[in-house]
Amino acid sequence: MSAETKSPRFDPTDPIFRWVSFGAATLLLVVLGGLIASLVYGGWPALSTFGLEFFLKFKDCPAGHGGHFCIDTPWNPVTDVYSATAPIVGTIVSSFLALLFALPIAIGVAVFLTQFCPRALAQPLSTAVELLAGIPSIVYGMWGLFVFAPWFAKTIQMPLMVAASQDPTSWGAKLVAGIPNGANLFTASIILAIMVLPYMASVFRELFRSIPAQVREAAFGVGATPFEVTTSVIIPYVKQGMIGVIMLGLGRALGETMAVTFIIGNSHRFPKSLFDSSSTIASTIANEFAEATSDLHTSALVALGLILFLITFTVLAIARWLLSTQRY
Amino acid sequence: MDRALRRKLANYVFIGLCVIGTAIALGALALILWSLFSQGIGGMNPKIFTMDTPAAGSEGGLRNAIVGSILMCGVGMIIAVVVGILAGTWLAEIGGDTTYGHIVRFLNDVLLSAPSILIGLFVYELLVFKSNPLSLGHFSGWAGAISLAILATPIVTRTTEDILNLQPNALREAGMALGASQFTTIRSIIWKAAGSGLLTGGLLGFARISGETAPLLFTALGNQFYNGNLSQPMASLPVTMFNFALTPYEDLNKLAWAGALLVAVAVLGVNILGRWLAREKNAGH
Amino acid sequence: MTTDTTSPDFKSVIVPPPEGSLVLEIRKLNFFYGQHQALFGVDLPVKKNAITALIGPSGCGKSTLLRTINRIYDLYPGQRAEGEILFEGENLIGPKVDVAALRARIGMVFQKPTPFPMSIYDNVAFGVRLHSSKSKAELDELVESSLRKAALWDEVKDKLHKSGLGLSGGQQQRLCVARGIAVNPEILLLDEPASALDPISTAKLEDTLEELKSDYTIVIVTHNLQQAARLSNYTGFMFLGKMVEFGPTEELFVKPKVDKTGDYIGGRFG
Repeated sequence: MSAETKSPRFDPTDPIFRWVSFGAATLLLVVLGGLIASLVYGGWPALSTFGLEFFLKFKDCPAGHGGHFCIDTPWNPVTDVYSATAPIVGTIVSSFLALLFALPIAIGVAVFLTQFCPRALAQPLSTAVELLAGIPSIVYGMWGLFVFAPWFAKTIQMPLMVAASQDPTSWGAKLVAGIPNGANLFTASIILAIMVLPYMASVFRELFRSIPAQVREAAFGVGATPFEVTTSVIIPYVKQGMIGVIMLGLGRALGETMAVTFIIGNSHRFPKSLFDSSSTIASTIANEFAEATSDLHTSALVALGLILFLITFTVLAIARWLLSTQRY
Repeated sequence: MDRALRRKLANYVFIGLCVIGTAIALGALALILWSLFSQGIGGMNPKIFTMDTPAAGSEGGLRNAIVGSILMCGVGMIIAVVVGILAGTWLAEIGGDTTYGHIVRFLNDVLLSAPSILIGLFVYELLVFKSNPLSLGHFSGWAGAISLAILATPIVTRTTEDILNLQPNALREAGMALGASQFTTIRSIIWKAAGSGLLTGGLLGFARISGETAPLLFTALGNQFYNGNLSQPMASLPVTMFNFALTPYEDLNKLAWAGALLVAVAVLGVNILGRWLAREKNAGH
Repeated sequence: MTTDTTSPDFKSVIVPPPEGSLVLEIRKLNFFYGQHQALFGVDLPVKKNAITALIGPSGCGKSTLLRTINRIYDLYPGQRAEGEILFEGENLIGPKVDVAALRARIGMVFQKPTPFPMSIYDNVAFGVRLHSSKSKAELDELVESSLRKAALWDEVKDKLHKSGLGLSGGQQQRLCVARGIAVNPEILLLDEPASALDPISTAKLEDTLEELKSDYTIVIVTHNLQQAARLSNYTGFMFLGKMVEFGPTEELFVKPKVDKTGDYIGGRFG
């Protein structure tokens, strides 16, 4: 680093350049500070009006309900009462489901590309996967809306619901209850999974490739099969890095707007089943912000944004920390 | 069962699962690309480029949205490149090792992965919301462009720092030894040596913002008419796609697919160009 | 008995060990990295329960030769071998060979220490667990005896369940030796095992190999001539992908039959 190097001849442009570039770096700080400040400032009216009830609001349980407490999830622009519980739950559940689907497949793709794929195919496939990671998420969302949701409703959801109607009280029937239009928590999670898949697969592939050849050779050298080498040596070797990548993928899924908004059904209730419509923080903001009816409505949406920022920031900070402790 | 046989079997099952996983992944992505191309080409015709977005039931194209996207991405990129290269240079050449440098680097990473819709919220509060003195008080192309700039700047900053750190220290010392000032050394030696890498960083940033929808929804909003004035609400391809996809009208859905194809091809093209430049550079060494 | 093989550049002189004492024999081996040929008709007889050293200047093909014996080159598409590697009457070069089973019988230790990301105990037990089901007590015993043979037991017996990555370089390399012998291989291949080690660790490793000689057949690649002279019973000198001379170590070092060998040992090139 040439930070301490003094130029041999004084040049008046030097201090100017230093200050201008310092200013550019500081501008980044100011922008992030402004972002946080604006979320706090804009969300404050809603947070102060509803207090803790913005996060968790209880209500009297309906007659005949066996539980001890019931959670209310109002999101009502008419009465101007808002609670963030349902979108928070929708955001977290859809992201976790998405990772659950994407993770094993991403690992499979990375293992295939680094170990079993014929060499002539490995490079083009890897490049294709990396390029797909750059496709805008709205394209995934549109595919979900026009192609995947109708297909899913017709070929999967309807038959399952018909089968479940035999015994409406079984847990299976409860799991698949919902409106058979394909716009629900489950399909949104699948679209999210397809969206984060290329990103995770290509970073996993890079992690696997970073393992020294001799470690792989040594593992094969004691007579282990590719399966045993992968599970006992390769994955443990980059475990921390992989968790970091998973967290980054989670961060993307949590904050993703366009892939989800089209297809999650946008209802502000607790999803009662896997096939029930739901909403995420990002989809709620995207749908309602430009047409918010009252100041409190706008403020509640900004407060949702603040919550999303805090969630993704935490996930990102953990990911950074894990990636920085990865030993190569 | 015999141990060796069991191990062999487990290995075959594992290989099978990896192949199936890859097939599922590539199959799903191929299906998406297939829909994109078949539906997109179906909606593609010269009117896309000559006519503006229509109301349902009438004929139209995407001219205003294409122009709006190019304008906002262009302005956003200019801001992002200027700020990002300066900030990245500061991190790599001047203050990156200080505590302040570490803070800037970390917060740049935070900004890099902040959900894009939050950037839209921020710019709304800053430039659109009425009670703010800085604000224009209404939706505008400027607000959209600045949202996109905030998205792209951290990417440019990050790649600039990475690329400059790859330049050998001998280059800096050689420049200084000839009596050049630090600014001259950076400007005429380091930036030049890193040229194609910096360009790649810019292209990656451009690819990222050109498909972004969420931050434009409530900054640039949209505009049914042709508009080259950034201080007015402005149409963009992604927002038009979003709005048209959600209508029940088939002709508007078709236009949404055509727009999606345009955006995807642009993004893929820019990405491939960036990679090709990076490869050329490596081959040249 | 002396076999002379004619080769276009120079004479190859092989003085094989006594008839019937061989465990493995390489005949007329060619090896290719894609289009590039790295070994040309190499012969190598390997005597049972002895140390065979391979010497020669960098790039002469000695490591390549070693890597053919346990087929580790299989991991890399484009690398292939032609010829014969006879091990118990079977040619190891061929599609029918079960490479995983083969590698359990022919172990390998690499240039740089390659501990796996697991505890010291699990490192040693790794191969054993793959190939057999042993009780906890049997496994404990085997881990201890392997670590003792590798002269590492005293240094690690109190931290068996700590990570193998926390050991020093020399200790890691002896851990890899222990891991290699725990599966009780018939042959142990060592690819410049001391090149990344300091002199004291090297001396300890050499002591270990000396001890192991009575139970195992060892083939070692080294660029250190003193090491080859000190340790081995037989030595092969390779140059430009060919086996120039092979014979009992003392004969080869004291009165080489080929001028090229004498030049290399005398330090005139390489």
